Amino acid sequence: MKKNGAPRASAIGLALVMTASIAAIGGPQQGLTETRSVWDGVYTEEQATRGGALYARECSSCHGEDLMGADEATPLAGALFLSNWDGLTVGDLFERVRVSMPQGDPGKLDRQQTADVLAYVLHFNQFPAGDSELARRTEFLKEIRFQATRPGSE
Amino acid sequence: MSRLSKPSVPSYVFLVAWVWVQGGARPSGAQPSSENVEWPHYNADLKGTRYSPLDQINASNFNDLEVAWRLKTDNLGPHPEFKLEGTPLMVKGVLYTTAGTRRSVVALDAKTGELIWAHSVREGKRAAIAPRQLSGRGLSYWTDGKGDDRVLYVTTGYRLVALDARTGAMIGSFGEEGMVDLKVGVVKGAEQPIDLETGEIGIHSTPIVVGNVALIGSAMREGATVSTHNNTKGLVRAFDTRSGKLLWTFHTIPRPGEFGGETWENDSWSINGNVGVWTQFSVDEELGLVYLPVETPTSDYYGGHRPGDNLFAESLVCVDLKTGRRRWHFQLVHHPIWNFDNSSAPILADIQVDGRAIKAVALPSKQAWLYVFDRVSGQPVWPIEERPVPQSDVPGEKTSPTQPHPTKPPPYARNFLSVPDDLIDFTPELRAQAVENLKRYKWAPTPFNPAILGHVDGLLGAVTGGTATNWPGGAYDPETHVVYAPAGNTPGERSLTAPPDGFSDIRYVSGVGGRPFRQVWGPGDCCAADSGRRTRDDLPQPAAPPGGSPPAASPPRPPAGGEGAGMTIQGLPIVKPPYGILSAIHLDRGEILWQVPHGDTPDNVRNHPALKGLDIPKTGQAGTSGVGLMVTKTLVVMGDPQITTTKDHPRGAMLRAYDKATGEEVGAVWMPAPQSGSPMTYMVEGKQYIVVAVSGGNYSGEYIAFSLPRAGR
Repeated sequence: MKKNGAPRASAIGLALVMTASIAAIGGPQQGLTETRSVWDGVYTEEQATRGGALYARECSSCHGEDLMGADEATPLAGALFLSNWDGLTVGDLFERVRVSMPQGDPGKLDRQQTADVLAYVLHFNQFPAGDSELARRTEFLKEIRFQATRPGSE
Repeated sequence: MSRLSKPSVPSYVFLVAWVWVQGGARPSGAQPSSENVEWPHYNADLKGTRYSPLDQINASNFNDLEVAWRLKTDNLGPHPEFKLEGTPLMVKGVLYTTAGTRRSVVALDAKTGELIWAHSVREGKRAAIAPRQLSGRGLSYWTDGKGDDRVLYVTTGYRLVALDARTGAMIGSFGEEGMVDLKVGVVKGAEQPIDLETGEIGIHSTPIVVGNVALIGSAMREGATVSTHNNTKGLVRAFDTRSGKLLWTFHTIPRPGEFGGETWENDSWSINGNVGVWTQFSVDEELGLVYLPVETPTSDYYGGHRPGDNLFAESLVCVDLKTGRRRWHFQLVHHPIWNFDNSSAPILADIQVDGRAIKAVALPSKQAWLYVFDRVSGQPVWPIEERPVPQSDVPGEKTSPTQPHPTKPPPYARNFLSVPDDLIDFTPELRAQAVENLKRYKWAPTPFNPAILGHVDGLLGAVTGGTATNWPGGAYDPETHVVYAPAGNTPGERSLTAPPDGFSDIRYVSGVGGRPFRQVWGPGDCCAADSGRRTRDDLPQPAAPPGGSPPAASPPRPPAGGEGAGMTIQGLPIVKPPYGILSAIHLDRGEILWQVPHGDTPDNVRNHPALKGLDIPKTGQAGTSGVGLMVTKTLVVMGDPQITTTKDHPRGAMLRAYDKATGEEVGAVWMPAPQSGSPMTYMVEGKQYIVVAVSGGNYSGEYIAFSLPRAGR
């Protein structure tokens, strides 16, 4: 039990969140819907299919067919994956993949291919497909919240 | 290829600012002051204590800590690093550490974090294929006491580099133009030199600098699914810190005629490798003795190609500092096949047992035993008994009939799964499913349950101990004689299978029969600065994935029951919490003083639909096996290994302070990402700082320095 109540450092975190919010509101993406989440059909079935082929070629040897990962390769499906990214944005996930994957050759996939792989990952995790493809621009993807549980399900 | 030339190995030093104000702000060792307290070694000292006597930051004010400065490491390499594991040093007011995918060295003003200089070496393919990549654990400091101050570190491509601590310039008189090629003299097989570019060897840990000697260990590729058992042989070497000259070599695989040579039956020493010393080791300067925590032979889980006990694998070896000759050893695991490689720095402790003063060495372990020896004689302080253990039925494997079992202190975490007592019991349904799932595994009440040939149509594997303490090791309070050890507290499982044709000369590698073969990547395989130059041809690859086809391109599949079918139950650990713990172990008594769960209850547990309405206790986090700690006058400080979002804090991880006497959590400060490198502390001009490396998930590597607000707050 903490002796002194809530850590003061929480204020730092809140400040960061506030800064991020202000940047989002005041930034060039003003006008985009900020309430979209991965539950709102943010990719298409066709895109996920393309991503599946890419995943098989570039990702599955480490992260596995079941996306559960192994050892140093973190899971891309399941409870741990969902909770690790819960509260962030698809843009955050996109950037992580873009700058560091595939591990033997980061940057090998272009933005479109990375978006396609993410569409596959979202589909595998049973987030619904929709009518429009996942964008390849990080700024747009940062407008899509990664939310582990379906809104209203709790 | 042994000769280096500048064009092939360019090094870069950026001298940002190095202007001392004469007689003013220079934080010089020439002016020893109680206001400056250093952290001069990776583990604070050569004894592996991670102890600092500082107490400005204490239970009364830990929650008041603020970020003093931060260093984002993204630009220290062509792409960001998400696994920053260093612990900086602080010497004479300057912080030194490694960082970034290039493993750059940086010197920072310890008060402000301002960059003083940065250095890196571009090694090309040599680094790209290295078995231990990324920024590593840090570096070492050497001084002759007369103004020749140096920073020593090992590049990802396994070169020992000496830098001028003031400027970052390479020391021209050291080795060859400031570097020693550590691949020279390294062998595989029957003394065949390894290739100086592509030969497999590297290191994450720092050089150990003692007097005018730098000690360097060795590490090879992670051994679960490797292409050959005949890989590079481990060794430890000593080099002169002034010249870079080799002083001595200790072979961790003894040669015929050498002590222990007979433990590699059928001349198997000549066709096997590994047995590195990849973690930090410790030195008793007064006794002139070095304590080496030696690791596993190839391969990690199958020993059919190396009959015998395989000294000095998984042994604690004491060698003479001057000569490198063995003084004593104790093999903790005979004929190792559990990957219980010695992961922790030995802790040198002067203790009192039953009124007797003992110069002891205590070794935390993956198997949750703290092994304690008289560090002069090598005799166990409390009996370590050879007891019978289950035998392997894997073809070709010949396991040791007995294994050493310490009688004291007791295990400080689970080192086997107690059935059914340890099984998840949040609800009767979850318990029932755990019991059902376990029917698919071979179980035994011991950490030495050998792997089986698992298959999807039968038993999936053998239940083993998990990893209690990994590379960060423990810490020790020399005033109270208490060891503090972080530990994971969840079990593991292990299965072997024949590798795909053409993949490996090892008869069985990690895997489950009937499942697609998957190569296991180790902690150093990922994301090196030059890894774009690595091609698939550079790495052992299966000819074709047997037993399964690649994922269907169309349509993507829904989750196929990957979770819940094995050692997790609906995504929850198969065991009761705590999943990760911090233990205090009294070395005079050989008893556990206290244990507390470490880390918030993970979000996926706290929010699990099957646990709705239940009062779930603080579970701690299984990743505690991989976070390190430090001890101060009153506190034990260690950060969370996992991100959570709770009612007490926004998405993040907490750096926690425990009352070291009781284990009570007395404070916590928010961090944007999990702790990924062990914390350190120092004081400059009367102000105490705590620096910790964070990274992981979406958050790239960053060193964060915390300090208290100005006086008056």
